[in-house]
Formats: sequence, structure tokens, C-alpha cells
Amino acid sequence: MGKEECKTMLDALNKVTACYRHLVIALGSTSDSQNLREELKRTRKKAQELAVANRTKLTALLKDKTISKEDRSEYERLWVLFSSSMELLEVDMKRSLELGQNFPLKVPTRHLIQTGMTGSTTTVAARAISVQNIKYEADSNIDTVDLGDLQAEISQVSQMMEEMEMKVQVAPWAVEAKQEAGAELKSSMSVGNSSVGVISICEEEPKEHESGGSRDAGFASICAVVIFFVIVTVAVVLGYLVINMS
Amino acid sequence: MTIRNTLRDYGQRYRPRMACLKKAEKVLLEMQDPKTGVKSQPQRLVITTIPHAITGEDIIAWLADRFQIDTQEARKFGSMLVALGYIYPLQDHKRLVVKPDASLYRFQTPYFWPTQQWPVEDTDYAIYLAKRNIRKKGILELHEQEQYNRLHKWMNHKWDFIVMQAKEQYRAAKERKKPDRVVFDCQERAYWVVHRPPPGTVSAMDYGLDRRVDPNADEAKTHDFYERIMIFTQQSIMRPRVKSSVSIGALVKYCATYNSHDPFLSKCLPSNPWLTDDVTYWTLNMPNVEIPTKMRVERWTFSFGELLSDPRGRDDFRLFLKKEFSGENLAFWESCEDLKWGTAATMREKAEQIYKTFLARGAPRWINIDGKTMEITVNGLKHPHRYVLDAAQTHIYMLMKKDSYGRYLKSPVFKDTLKKAICPEEHKFTDAQLDQNAKNRRPSLSPIILRQQEQEQRAKMAASATVDITQLCRFTTPVPHLAVYSGITDYPSANASPSLPFLTHTPACPSPISVALDSTSASERRAETSEGEGEGNPQTRAPIGGNVSKPRMAFSLRRLLKRGCTPSTMFASLSPKCPSAAGTSSRIQPISPDQPTQAPPRRIGNFFQIKVDIPPECRIYPIESEDEEEENRAASRSGVGAKEIICPWESLTPQNGMG
Repeated sequence: MGKEECKTMLDALNKVTACYRHLVIALGSTSDSQNLREELKRTRKKAQELAVANRTKLTALLKDKTISKEDRSEYERLWVLFSSSMELLEVDMKRSLELGQNFPLKVPTRHLIQTGMTGSTTTVAARAISVQNIKYEADSNIDTVDLGDLQAEISQVSQMMEEMEMKVQVAPWAVEAKQEAGAELKSSMSVGNSSVGVISICEEEPKEHESGGSRDAGFASICAVVIFFVIVTVAVVLGYLVINMS
Repeated sequence: MTIRNTLRDYGQRYRPRMACLKKAEKVLLEMQDPKTGVKSQPQRLVITTIPHAITGEDIIAWLADRFQIDTQEARKFGSMLVALGYIYPLQDHKRLVVKPDASLYRFQTPYFWPTQQWPVEDTDYAIYLAKRNIRKKGILELHEQEQYNRLHKWMNHKWDFIVMQAKEQYRAAKERKKPDRVVFDCQERAYWVVHRPPPGTVSAMDYGLDRRVDPNADEAKTHDFYERIMIFTQQSIMRPRVKSSVSIGALVKYCATYNSHDPFLSKCLPSNPWLTDDVTYWTLNMPNVEIPTKMRVERWTFSFGELLSDPRGRDDFRLFLKKEFSGENLAFWESCEDLKWGTAATMREKAEQIYKTFLARGAPRWINIDGKTMEITVNGLKHPHRYVLDAAQTHIYMLMKKDSYGRYLKSPVFKDTLKKAICPEEHKFTDAQLDQNAKNRRPSLSPIILRQQEQEQRAKMAASATVDITQLCRFTTPVPHLAVYSGITDYPSANASPSLPFLTHTPACPSPISVALDSTSASERRAETSEGEGEGNPQTRAPIGGNVSKPRMAFSLRRLLKRGCTPSTMFASLSPKCPSAAGTSSRIQPISPDQPTQAPPRRIGNFFQIKVDIPPECRIYPIESEDEEEENRAASRSGVGAKEIICPWESLTPQNGMG
């Protein structure tokens, strides 16, 4: 159904927006690097694709005059979600442009701020683009080249948003949210197929079938412990048999 | 259609209000340089170690060295960097200062640097609060909880998005390694401490209102534009000019006089509350404090405007005038202020009240203004508006300034106040005490509560107001229930500005109408029971001017005059009710030389220019001699041709028994 598809795509866009923000926050700090710029670029591309897909879908749905009232209010809610995501994305893109210009990588004296962050953001980007491992294949001057692309993309996005506003007559303040205050504390997400799964408040790994790369360290250690006990048990059994046999 | 934030680009370009930001960024880049910057060390937490932490003393030392300044200034500079949000403290994250010890700080990531170009969005704050909610499992701090609820209410249409985004961001953050996660949490928290400060702290990013118009942009040369230029230049030509020697002389004199009173230029005793977080200075200088400070009393001697605009000074002046029995001037001035600053609905009543009390012939508190001003005022009162009494008010102001003010400054009242004035000792706080003070900061009372308190006080004072009557005619003598403007109460708002004499809004007086109402109703009740005459008429008569409350005073007065002869008995019957009346009456007695106790009845009307036709057997009796016999005789009187004081702009409606 149209609604389910929409929701899936919106969730994906939401995820990408969140990850993009994390990546932009790392810009200019000590965890900045060539890779980060490439990650930003690819996340952006993904975001663009999703945005376009969402937009076409939602505009088509909203332009349809033959839908019922509840359907229409639901689509309007989805529209508000979409436009808010796009606003965040646009701001983040503009900021990444500014930060990219202020903190170029290929200068003799790099002055990245010593913020205390030293790790890489690979995992975040992997989550965003939904791949297991990212292969970095960009050239060395990605930071300057990319900025030109970025500017073009920003203007594209702004244009798209303006078009959206013109074409679709949705009053965002009239939309009522389904979630009440404190909804983020609840353990389940009200989402369909994108199945980010059941999350609990404590730090467990989220079961996602989309992002294979997001194994938590905890999961690995639990696996290791389990395997260890299995091996110990097997060893004990074998030893007992050996002793019995001899 | 989505309402986009069209004000996004109104930052630095339009008004470089915070030019310090760009400069601070340069300094920061130098500071964080691994080779030549501040020495960094790793921060050891329970399991993890996080690099790039710096100590407060290192920061201060580096700044002092780099800019060749002393430690004190380096510390202030460092605190500014922290307050703006370029560096954040790792311990005690809510106090944005640099402590000169081993407490740790860290540099903020450029995304979170303060900038005017990217306004701080409420959406982001809502997402942050939601994330914090998840992290803290529902236990937010009080102000965060309040903000959360408020945002939930106002951004309700976006709330789904906020929840979704919060969850996603929370999960994305978990993708990173533990040390980075900790750092990121600290960074975000620090960012929001700067931009949404907890209550009791001031954000360094406050810079006032933003301009919607770019002042550097070229303006289109339309007809309007040129017209504005023409008007401006015409007004510039017409402006009255003063010789520069005069104006500069005035400026120099002002600076010299006020130099020691300015808290920026000289010491503020006992200590400046903004610097030391100690509010003694404010408590000592409250508007209605008993004993003022020496500096405050000194300011009263600078000019009359200063004296009047300070509520305590005005109280003192009022006391002095009371002793001199010329309090009506100040009372008139204050009621004019009340009229100017009051609500439009009450203006008409107030104007009439003022006229009756101060300006009419034979008014109880008649003020002395010259004929021309009186004429202008009375003419103006036909159509009362806010500034109708301006001429008279100015006249009285000048009168007070030239005459009473000089005498006040030489009077024992002032000298007494001056002697009693306190001069507080300067505070000398140690650093630890300053920290303590900062922790003990409390918000002051809400202005709503203050206003309620003021009103209660005013009502209390009004109830026990003493009457200060200047002229004594038989109609005014002991008129306790006409508790007119006594001007005793004075609890104005605390924002007196000394430079503007008429700025302070001082609704100082109880509305005479309300007081008159209270006591009048009581008196009427008593009168009715005692006399029991057919007094239905005055009560039911349609009031002049369509205002029920206003002519109540007139009613009682009219009723007494109707009876014709001994209003004093009526007054006498009233006097026991108002305990202060006896006191005032005994005080008033000596003033009027024209009140012989056993004088033969005579036409006293001409003295006060009231055309009164009083039956000859009328007597003026002192208040104390309440005579039952007289009362009975009074009851039998009928018809009097007495004319009472009514406003000239009101037409005389034909009334029974009135001439």
C-alpha cells in the first residue's frame, strides 16, 4: 500500500538525516579525515535519492483528490515529517559547506580542533548508506572538489523545497502528532517494514535487517562467551570419555 | 505550505553585533595547536581515557603569555571564551567560567561553535531533550522538563518527527566507540548549556533583537525614500540649537556630578550585585526603604527632578511639606501624573476628581496657580484628556522647585534624613565566597507578586489615610469621609529613572472615589437611620455625567447643604467613625482663623466666593460638640439655596432644592 511504502521511505530518510548530522558534527575536529569527507559525500547522495523518491511519492499521493479524510490527514502528517527532515538536511548541508571551506585538509598546517574525538565515523556512515563495509576510493583532493558539488546540491535541495511548498497545500500546524510526550521512552517504534526492530532502553543491539554492519561490540562478546562455554563443555565431555575409556 | 524560517540569514551580515566571535575563533585555533597551543593531557575516566583535555590554569597561563596580560585579565578572557561556548568545562558543566586550578576543559567542535548566522532552532533543542530523555530514562532536570513540555505543546505538529529523529540520532551515536560517545555527549550538553541556559544563568549569546533589514543594502530610491530624506532635513533645520559652549558645559557638569554615582565608573557600595552575586545593594536601595543610603540622599540634592523621581525622596519631601502645610502642591502634581499615566477609562473621573479637590473655587485642597493657567485648565477640562492638566502641573512643579525645594534642603527633615543615612562598607569577597554566592543565587520576586503587594499596601494606606486639607470652609472642615487625596501612600514601581522627571509611574494615591465610597456609604447609612428624612431623591437621582460613583461625594455634600444649616452636626455624626478624623480635625482647627467657636451666625459665603444662601441661624460648631438638639433642628430645616462645587463643564440639571 502507498502508506506503508511511504513510511518505509520516510524512516530511511530519517535515518540518513540523523547519520548525516553526526558526520557533520565531526567535521573540523580531530576525527576529521579524508574518509569523513567521502562518507559525507556518499551519505548526501543517498539522502538526495531518498528525498526525491519520497517527494514524488508523497506529492502523487497528496495530489490525489479522491482519497478519504483520514488518509489525507495521515499523508499530511507524513508530509510534515518529510519536510522537517528536509529542513534539517538543508541546514546540515549548508553548515558542512561552511565547515569544509574553513577546515581544508590538504594544507601544510592542518588545524583541526583537538576535540577529544579520535575514532572514525565509518560505522555511522555505514549505517547511513546501509552497507557492511565502506570502501574508500576517493581522490586526495576530495575536500575541495566536493565543495563545488555540495554547493550545487544545496541549491538543488532549496529549489526542491520551494517547489514542494508551492505544489502541495499542506498546513503543517494543523497536523496532529500521533506520539505523545515521552513517546521516545517507549520500547517499540510505530513503524512498518523498515523494521528497525524492537529497541529497549538499555544498550542492546538493534535487530535490523537492513544495516548488516551494525553489530554492537556487546553482541560479539556474548557470542564469544557462549562459544567458549560450548568448547569447555565439549572438552569436559571428551575428557570424561577418554578417562572412561582408559 | 510550510512556513519556512525566512529569517535565517539575519546574522553577522546585518549587524556585526558579535564581532568578537570571529576573533575568538582565531584565538581558539592558536590555542588548540598541538605544538604551540595549550598543553593538553588525557582525561581518565573509569574505563576509558580521552585525550585533549586542558586544565584551567594552563589556559590562563597560555593566554597571559600570548597576549602579555596579567593573570586576572587572562582569567576574564578565558571565562569569556567558555561563556561563549568555544571551550567547555568537563566538571561542573553548568558554570561557564575558567577556574585557575586543575579543573579540566576541552575544545568544542566547530559545528557547535556559536555563530549568529545559524540561529539556534527549537526543533534541535526538542530533539536534544528527547534524546536526553531516552538516555536518562525519563528523569530530566526541572528546567529541562519544563522546556520539554513547552516545546511539546508548541511544536506538536512536528512531534512525530522529533521523536523519530531523536531515536535515530541516539542509535547513530551508539555506532561510535565509547570514548567518542562520551565526548559527543559532553559536547552536545555544553552546547545547549550555552544556548539554553539553566535558570539563574545568563547566556553570553544574548545580543538583543535581530534586524530584519540589512542596513548595508542599497535602498531603492523611491518617492517615499526621498520624502523621508526631505522631512528629516527640514526637521534638522528647525531644531533649536544651543551654543556648544553651553551644551558641552552642561555635559561636563553632568559628568562631574554623577561620576561618583555611576556604578561603572566608580565603586558601587557595598558591592555590585552583577559582579559578586550579593544583593545587599539592591535591598538597601529598595524604593520604600526606611533608611536610605548616603549616595541616594546626595542624589536628591542634585536637582528637584531627582528628588521627585526617587520614591523615598518623594516621601521625605512629602513629609516636609506636611509639616509646612503645603502638601497640596505635591498631591496635585502626583495626581496629575496619575492622570497622565492612568488608563483611558478612568481619565474622565480622575480629571473631575482633581478639579474638585484642587482647582475648584473653595476646593478642599486648593492650589495656587495664576489666573491665566487656571483659565486654560478649566477650559481644557471641558474635554478632558491625558495632558489637560499639563500647564497647571508645570506651574506647580516650578513653584515647588523654586520655593519648597530650597527650603526642604535646609529643613530639619532633610538634615535628619541625611544624618540617619547609612554608608555601607565595601564587601571583600574571597574567591570561595564568590563561588558560594553564585551557588546561592535566587530569582527575585515575580513582578506580578510585587504589583499585588504594592496594591495591598496602597489599599492599607488608603484605609488609614490622614486628610490634609488646606482651606477650611464650613464645607470642608471635618470631612473625613471625603478622604481626598492625601498622598500618603507611595509604593510605585521600582524603575525610577532619575533623568526624566515625569517618567515614573506612581499611582500613589488611593482613588479618592473609592475611599469616599467606602466612608460615604457608611455615612449615608448612618445618616439615614438617624435623620430618616425623605432623602430618597438624592440617592435615586440620576447622577450627573452618568457616573454613579463620582457624585457620591457630591451627594453627601449636597445633602448636608440641603439641610442647610449645620453640616457640622452631620460631620460630627460622622466623625466618630473615622478615628483619624478627630486627630486631623484637631489639627486643622488652629489653621483657620475664621472659625470662632461661638461666633454669631454670619454670611460666610463671600469669604470663599461660594454663593451660598445660608439661613442666618446657622452656626459653625466645632466638631466635638455633637449636639443632639442641633441634629433635630437640622432635620426640620428645609430647602437651602446652597450651591455646591460642581464642575463647570457639566450642565446644571434642575434639582430639587438647589439654587
